[in-house]
Amino acid sequence: MSTSPEALQGSDLQRPGLFASLPGDLAMWFFILAELTVFGICIVAFAVTQALRLELFQASRALLDTSTGLALTLSLLTSGLFAALAVEQVRAARSRQAAGWLLAALGSACVYVWLKLQEYAHLLQAGLDMEHNTFFTLYWILTAFHFLHVLLGMLILAFMAWRCWRLAYAPQQCSGLVSGVLYWHMVDLVWVVLFPLVYVLN
Amino acid sequence: MASWKYLLLCWLGLLLLSLLTVELGAAGATPLLAGGVLLVALGKAWLIIDGFMEMRHANWFWRGLMLGWPLSLGLTIWLSIALR
Repeated sequence: MSTSPEALQGSDLQRPGLFASLPGDLAMWFFILAELTVFGICIVAFAVTQALRLELFQASRALLDTSTGLALTLSLLTSGLFAALAVEQVRAARSRQAAGWLLAALGSACVYVWLKLQEYAHLLQAGLDMEHNTFFTLYWILTAFHFLHVLLGMLILAFMAWRCWRLAYAPQQCSGLVSGVLYWHMVDLVWVVLFPLVYVLN
Repeated sequence: MASWKYLLLCWLGLLLLSLLTVELGAAGATPLLAGGVLLVALGKAWLIIDGFMEMRHANWFWRGLMLGWPLSLGLTIWLSIALR
């Protein structure tokens, strides 16, 4: 299977110098960097507040279920694998199979959404809402912001699955698909940092 | 190596590192263990960036920019714990 820079870009367009070997659309990379910056600011705010109120954060974190956090992580990572496999299928000119992989990615993302909604419902029933304390204020802001990105990513996955089924992508003309999948991986990447920070670190 | 095998290996690595994260977190509450948890998170971020996002083929500048994100955040989080 080809892994040349052209194949990775999924585009006929050749970009000069610094941008030559980037997969997907250049605009998506600027969008990803902007998103990572916003998440980075939120994560630093969480870390600094944690340093100032360590005991409160330790006690509050103990109210969260780490195994739920782990299940959320596994569902997102599995979804990321399926999305990456979909790109490989399009590069091998098997768009219909790619649609199947994207639907599988969507299914795994649905598991994440279901688990997260269960967790939110459980916390609300226990009175651990946004106004409970500083930890939960930051917990709700961070995880809800990430959750919205997951929902947007699922819409993108569904749209790309439909496009794959309609044979709208070709091996050298799939930069839109690659860009959409890159967005989904960014959602994974953010969660990889959020998971230890919110659920695990003591 | 075929691309799908490479992706599968990345995913297996991510699963194992996720389990290791939980184990390290449950082992205690010291700056050293926190550093271990964050190092594992950095490993996971590297697998996603170089494996899933295919940045291993990209220009060093963009690759550095992407890998710098989890690295700088991990360092910030660790320092906020260790320097307290």
